[in-house]
Amino acid sequence: MKRSTIRTLEKFNLPIVAAGFLLLAPVLTVQRTTDFIIFCIFVLAYDLLYGYMGRLSFGHMLYLGVGAYAAALCAEHISANPFIAILTALLSGAAVGLLLGPIIVRTTGACFALINLAFNQVGFFLALIALAEWTGGEDGMAAFFDTVWMLNFDNRYVVFGFSLFCLLLVVFLMRRLTGSPFGILLRMIKENETRAQFLGYNTYKYKLLAFVISTTVAAFAGALTILNYTYVTPSFIDTTRNVEVIFASLIGGAGSVFGALLGGMSYMAISNYLPNYIQRWEMFLGIALLLLVFRFQTGIWGFVVARVSGTDAEKDQ
Amino acid sequence: MPGDMILESREVSKSFGELTAVDSVDYQLREGESAGIIGPNGAGKTTFFNILTGLFPPNSGTILFRGRNVTKMSADQRVRMGMVRTFQLVSVFDTLPVLDNLILAVVRADTKNRNVIRFILGSSHTSQMEKVCMDTLEMVGIADKSRVLTSDLSYGDKRKLEIALALALKPRVLLLDEPLAGLSDPEIADIMELMNSLKDRLTLVIIEHKISQLTGLVSRLSVMHEGRLITEGDPDDILRDPVVRRVYWGEDDSSDDT
Repeated sequence: MKRSTIRTLEKFNLPIVAAGFLLLAPVLTVQRTTDFIIFCIFVLAYDLLYGYMGRLSFGHMLYLGVGAYAAALCAEHISANPFIAILTALLSGAAVGLLLGPIIVRTTGACFALINLAFNQVGFFLALIALAEWTGGEDGMAAFFDTVWMLNFDNRYVVFGFSLFCLLLVVFLMRRLTGSPFGILLRMIKENETRAQFLGYNTYKYKLLAFVISTTVAAFAGALTILNYTYVTPSFIDTTRNVEVIFASLIGGAGSVFGALLGGMSYMAISNYLPNYIQRWEMFLGIALLLLVFRFQTGIWGFVVARVSGTDAEKDQ
Repeated sequence: MPGDMILESREVSKSFGELTAVDSVDYQLREGESAGIIGPNGAGKTTFFNILTGLFPPNSGTILFRGRNVTKMSADQRVRMGMVRTFQLVSVFDTLPVLDNLILAVVRADTKNRNVIRFILGSSHTSQMEKVCMDTLEMVGIADKSRVLTSDLSYGDKRKLEIALALALKPRVLLLDEPLAGLSDPEIADIMELMNSLKDRLTLVIIEHKISQLTGLVSRLSVMHEGRLITEGDPDDILRDPVVRRVYWGEDDSSDDT
């Protein structure tokens, strides 16, 4: 493979992603592929903060859960129109991001990770106990949606197609965001925030913006999860599930849209199929993580890019 | 000829625990001036720069910039007002290509195009922006390395990139913190030439350890010692000043310039 191949891949990213999932659907079943797609959206949301801005969150399930619960509550109390439910989820995700962001984005490193975890725990408690009257507590809540514009979301092909469309939308958005001056600024903040301030940027403002975009897109993934499963329980926002998205970001290669997609796919493949063969499969996840940390820090995509650039460099000599 | 007062500190002090790093410093800079600040290691020069540029606030005292009290303003606000600095240990973004380092400075300086949507969603590499970047890189002499990853640059080239970053921001006042430190002789010659070409175009303040280099460059030299501004004046007079010679070279006047 040559560097030009990678450039072609990046240029035609949307058709390639679409084709990839369409080919995958008959192999994995449609419902499972939909799961993969939604998880990839979540990984993309996460990677904007972790991969680009360098802020590791241990509490991102909260924002996914906010979207899921917002969509379900909207379906129950306001409107069963799925698009209104999704819009409610997006607004809720943005609102939570705006509410918590001013506290959270001031921190870095371990503090950033743990403060997210703390809020995630609070959210879990709210869904499980404090707001049980609304959320159905441990049993969770079901959500049923109307058929709008001939889109019947009980049909899994419709959910699949719609999710894929949403993924393409998010990939497009993320590529625009990360290919803009804003994207460069996020990478600068990751490397040396003080220096970015000395280029005249109020980094706080842009960190908050990135955070709110991330929580909103995570809530989007949450709303799609509801469309796919038609129910939500507190287990959706269980803090222990954060490891999934962290792992996916690492495995694919943090800080790249393709990396996030590959990571989401790889993690879902491992967690869906490895248990068929090995009962306690998590151990192998741990071993894979160790390998990543010590050997492949740039993830699958980073490895590919490095190999390609490496062979090109050899040719140049 | 120097014009109006552009940057001024009034009785600025800063201590870290027991140590008083900057002790009641009064300093004035006029528009168009090139000034140097010298002093032995630990004299408080860099701390003073850090206070001027807003890296941290002073314990007491006031900073005035372009007639406004900027003491409580953040660093990025001061940069937007035109106060730009470089760092003693070169500080550029190693993980980005050279061009990407510059683009944000160019975007920042482009006051005509303040479009938030374009900043967030527009392309970072428009041909117009790249042209400005290339012109700036040309000026510092590293235009041929625009596509290189910054971590692959030599230390001297990184220094040139940092100066390019500062210039791309179109500063009113440029503060250079030991721009010659850690460079080889040919690199020093390059940077000296660059600074000489800059001094006619903008207001410069240079901290330097190698004072012999400064004498031809600046019109005024200030000497810091143990956090205090002990004297200032014409560079040649300053270098003959017995007090300066004592703090710089100790009682023994025979050792030479470092």
